Amino acid sequence: MKRQSLSYFVALPALLLALSAQAHDPKEHMKEAQAPDCAAMKDMDHSKMDMKDPVMQAMMKKCMKAMHKDEEGSHEAHGDKGHTDHGNHDEKSDEKKPAKHQHKK
Amino acid sequence: MTSFKFLSCFKCLAVAAGVAAVTGVGFLYSGLYPMGADDHHNDLTYWALETLRERSIARASNDIEVPTDLNSSERLLAGGADYNDMCTGCHLKPGKTESDFTLGLYPAPPNLTLTGDRHGHEHAGDTDNDDEAIKRQFWIIKHGIKASGMPAWGPGHDDQRIWNMVAFLQRLPELSPQQYQILTARGADDAGHH
Repeated sequence: MKRQSLSYFVALPALLLALSAQAHDPKEHMKEAQAPDCAAMKDMDHSKMDMKDPVMQAMMKKCMKAMHKDEEGSHEAHGDKGHTDHGNHDEKSDEKKPAKHQHKK
Repeated sequence: MTSFKFLSCFKCLAVAAGVAAVTGVGFLYSGLYPMGADDHHNDLTYWALETLRERSIARASNDIEVPTDLNSSERLLAGGADYNDMCTGCHLKPGKTESDFTLGLYPAPPNLTLTGDRHGHEHAGDTDNDDEAIKRQFWIIKHGIKASGMPAWGPGHDDQRIWNMVAFLQRLPELSPQQYQILTARGADDAGHH
């Protein structure tokens, strides 16, 4: 009986500690995670963009990641369809790339 | 004769202090002071509380060391996502001017999309982006402020994560809604910043 109540005393704080650690885990926010709207970069005033500015660099990093994810997704989609149209895919994705990341400097 | 005068003066002071203490305690127990957030403090009470708060924060944050890489893109990305998740309800984001919290909390939380001299809080003076203001922001995020609605994020967030938010705050006032969206979006599997 003593051992059982002792285990409660140990287990309960351990459980509370584990829950409090999870409470602020960024993964918690993944449910409502929004994708970055990288298409909006096209409408920005490119003449005012300074590529050395950390804000600009951060946006580029974010959109590069998003673009790679898109590419992986489309690769997988093509993979599901089969390898027959793989040749066309590369052409199409190359056409897509500059539209998202084009910068006049 | 002199000692008699001193004694009577001391007695007067003691009686006055006693009366003041009894009156003060009586006032506390009377329930007369309005405690609703929609019934604002008088100027004297507001000044006293604000001075108490600002002096306390300035003293407590004095020895904090500011990281040298605060203006890095990695910090902006990590801090931006956290700011968006945890702070926008009270401190707003570009394109938003009010929320239920900004309307209902008293004192109203500062709109951090504006620079310090524009969001109506004169506490940090003209110290935007300087060390004093940066230390102050770090301390407030980590420790919170009593009876203000500002929680202490320190218990669940390490110092680096808090510095990331401070880094983001330095650039927030100049971000457009589009820039803000890109910087703060976590994406589908963007948990790696922390």
